[in-house]
Amino acid sequence: MPIDAVLSAVQNSALSRWVAEADHLFTAGLQVIHIIGFILLLSSVSLMSLRLLGLVFVAQPLPQVAVGMRRLLWLGLALAVSTGAIMFVGAPRHYFYNPAFAAKMVLLLLAVIIQSAAFNRVALRPDLSPAALRLIVGLSLVAWFSVSLAGRAIGFI
Amino acid sequence: MSVYEWADAIEATSIGTAIAESRYAFPIIEGVHLIALSLSVGLIFITDLRLIGVALKEVPVIQVLQQLRVYLLTGFVVVFLTGGLLVWAEARAVVDSPATPFKFAFLLLAGINAAYFEFGVAKSPEILDSRETVLPRGARFAGYASLVLWTLVIIFGRLIAYIPHWT
Repeated sequence: MPIDAVLSAVQNSALSRWVAEADHLFTAGLQVIHIIGFILLLSSVSLMSLRLLGLVFVAQPLPQVAVGMRRLLWLGLALAVSTGAIMFVGAPRHYFYNPAFAAKMVLLLLAVIIQSAAFNRVALRPDLSPAALRLIVGLSLVAWFSVSLAGRAIGFI
Repeated sequence: MSVYEWADAIEATSIGTAIAESRYAFPIIEGVHLIALSLSVGLIFITDLRLIGVALKEVPVIQVLQQLRVYLLTGFVVVFLTGGLLVWAEARAVVDSPATPFKFAFLLLAGINAAYFEFGVAKSPEILDSRETVLPRGARFAGYASLVLWTLVIIFGRLIAYIPHWT
């Protein structure tokens, strides 16, 4: 199976061994940055959702809220993905064959697609019906929250 | 009763063992704790970024404080409830870890900073009526202090699992 060979090759690399043998406080540091990235991501999506649903900052034009929050969202995602990638390199086989990790990656892909294709574009259009807006906001929040729940489950399976 | 006896006692209660032994309860409660953190601490971070003039610069600061309050406090209610359940299931491990007193000390300081800001600095006319992007020094200081203190709470919270004993 080629994927298995790839995982083994990664696992046998010097980088992988370095990460795996690093002090456990290094791993803890990666996890802290991973969590802070997630907090920035989820809070900026939540705040944009509140604004789109007309619950906060209704006096401000949408872009005044959305532009900054979008930047924070991608910053949070970048922190979470980069630290996550280092953790993955340290134990590729362990993660790849963990069902919670697989679920997390599928959900992450889904969340990024919903966020970039629907939420960050369609949801910002003024002519969108309230029902469609609520649907997009709801889907996006559920997708991101599921990613974090699946992530928390990795260590328990 | 020492804190260790207390920890063993609450861990041995039926709810404590039920959470600890359930395959799903513990990770789900932890997951909800984390999601609620993004509403509570996450919205505080965004408020802090407004105070130091980095995010939401066009939104008057008083609107940020007032309109986010209900969501932020709801997030904190869920964080404290789920956090309480996690301690219930793992009281001994939480008490044993040297990271615990640091986490709660920084939590207390973050709370004091928030109260000092909320009931002191934020009541001044310079904040109440401000439409400025750059706020007075007191408000900016409270923003930086909050960012640092809440980050330390998260760091030491995560370290509870990584540093189980003093020696």
